[in-house]
Amino acid sequence: MRPRTALTIACFAALVIASIRIPPLTLPFIDREPIRRSMTVLPDAGIWWPDYPRFLQAVRARTEQGDSIALFVPTFTWEGGYSYAYYRASYFLAGREVLPVIVPGDRRVPANVTRARYVAIWHGRPPAGVHVVFEGFGGTLVRR
Amino acid sequence: MAFAAVAILTTLVIGIPMTLAVDRDARSGALIGLSYLYGCGAVWAVLFTLSLLHVRWTAMTTTVTLVAFSAVMWIVVLLRRAEAAPPGAAVDRGPLAMLAPIADLATVYAVVTFAMYATITRVWEWDFWAIWGLKGRVFLEAGGIDWRFLQSPFNDFAHPDYPLLLPLNYAYVAVTNGQWDDRWMALPGIVFGVALILIVRSLAARELPRFLAALLAFATAGVALSQYVGLADAPLIAYGTAAILFIRRGILFDEASGFRHGAILLGLAAGTKNEGLALIASVVIAMLIARASKWRDVLRLWPAVVIPLPWIVARFAFHLQTDIARGSFISRAIERIGDSGVIVASLLRWLPDPWLWLLMLVGMVMIPRTTRTAERFILAAVAIQAVWYLAAYFGTPLDVIWHIETSWPRVARHLEAPLLFVVMLTLAQAFERGETLAHAEARPELS
Repeated sequence: MRPRTALTIACFAALVIASIRIPPLTLPFIDREPIRRSMTVLPDAGIWWPDYPRFLQAVRARTEQGDSIALFVPTFTWEGGYSYAYYRASYFLAGREVLPVIVPGDRRVPANVTRARYVAIWHGRPPAGVHVVFEGFGGTLVRR
Repeated sequence: MAFAAVAILTTLVIGIPMTLAVDRDARSGALIGLSYLYGCGAVWAVLFTLSLLHVRWTAMTTTVTLVAFSAVMWIVVLLRRAEAAPPGAAVDRGPLAMLAPIADLATVYAVVTFAMYATITRVWEWDFWAIWGLKGRVFLEAGGIDWRFLQSPFNDFAHPDYPLLLPLNYAYVAVTNGQWDDRWMALPGIVFGVALILIVRSLAARELPRFLAALLAFATAGVALSQYVGLADAPLIAYGTAAILFIRRGILFDEASGFRHGAILLGLAAGTKNEGLALIASVVIAMLIARASKWRDVLRLWPAVVIPLPWIVARFAFHLQTDIARGSFISRAIERIGDSGVIVASLLRWLPDPWLWLLMLVGMVMIPRTTRTAERFILAAVAIQAVWYLAAYFGTPLDVIWHIETSWPRVARHLEAPLLFVVMLTLAQAFERGETLAHAEARPELS
């Protein structure tokens, strides 16, 4: 076998090896439960797990398609967590209109509270005298 | 899981007459792979059309329309005359032929274990629940495309301008299920990867002995099964790579069906991600640069432009802006020329699979010059696509380093599969040449 042919075969073989993604290949032989748990928590990691997604599911169960819901969470900075809370709420409350009270640049949008039929408050206290629809998982759903 | 499987199977069955209408001689792996890719295109087209006609998506309306669409395609198949079949794989009696099933089993194992990973829990990726899955879920609730949602300035984060092939396929799975359940939404993305593996296996077997074709398919599994679960990268890799490989067949072997498949797949790539639109330009320029094609061949790609056109028109009609084009893209790009060193260093730092890239470069150097000349279409198409990506980073309105860190490890993988195919194929042909060339087709020399 000529050296060039040997090198060509070696390069072909090396490409086959380099393309292998090792981690999934080991899955049948390891305990997958810790991986499953960490992947389940991943979207809501930090202060949000496990209550925030549960609260959003509860809000979804108590509102109708087309309802508008303003969202309060314990941060008033867009990059400091409000954007995440808003995006996540948009997913769980698909079919409803989720209205942010903070937008990029940390600008507050009080008009969205006025517009909303419901106000979802997570880790915050609703004003006195409002009609509370649901309380639980660290949050309150208020009907305006 | 059962409903996701039913939706995927239905999509595949719907795609069979479409594949045969384009190419009556499509068989085995290529037929199955293409049928799924075309079936997803049909789902996109049907749900998009129903939405424009204000017909609410239900299991009944979508299924009836898809079945009618499929019936029309079967009529086209029956009316279409068979062409001269492209040369298939010759019977491989080489000493390594008996190892091919082992390599194929290894590919199956790679697919199964990847599926275990991707479906270990609900789809977790941020871009799934903030973009691709979000739209599927919102549209399911609305019973059609929710233009008001896309137009809302509060929903810019969901990238309203992104093409809708994947979200509408998610919506179709949910319509079949009767409700949204993201537990098994990773499955459609996995099948996109499998479709590409089957196509690569089939195309490689036309030019290589079985064992080497099987090894090439195994290597493709590593790049076709996107670790970004639930995102549109897996379908883009499948559509884009398959398009390039079929157009290559058209150019090198004068296969009319290669151009037809390539054009449709290219159009569907453009229906999946904006990078697919860029790929149309890359392919056209590459065909002209490679001097392998005449304008007549380029014009054969007209379906690639027609297929994404309705979405492009809708995007303008509903004023859905592309964030990267906001402000002056060109002035931003010019301003950043001074930062070229930092940008290139960042691209190298975040390059995924650096060993694979290095080996592909080494492989390209080792390929005989005449072969490299013949394959310059793919090499040029990949290089031009990389230039578009580079330009996007220079002109981005976002912080460029942050943009590279968060997207380059993902989008660089769009370029891997076609490059891997051509490098491995030509290396294999180089060491096969003179030994068992009986199964390999004669490669035309291009000037």
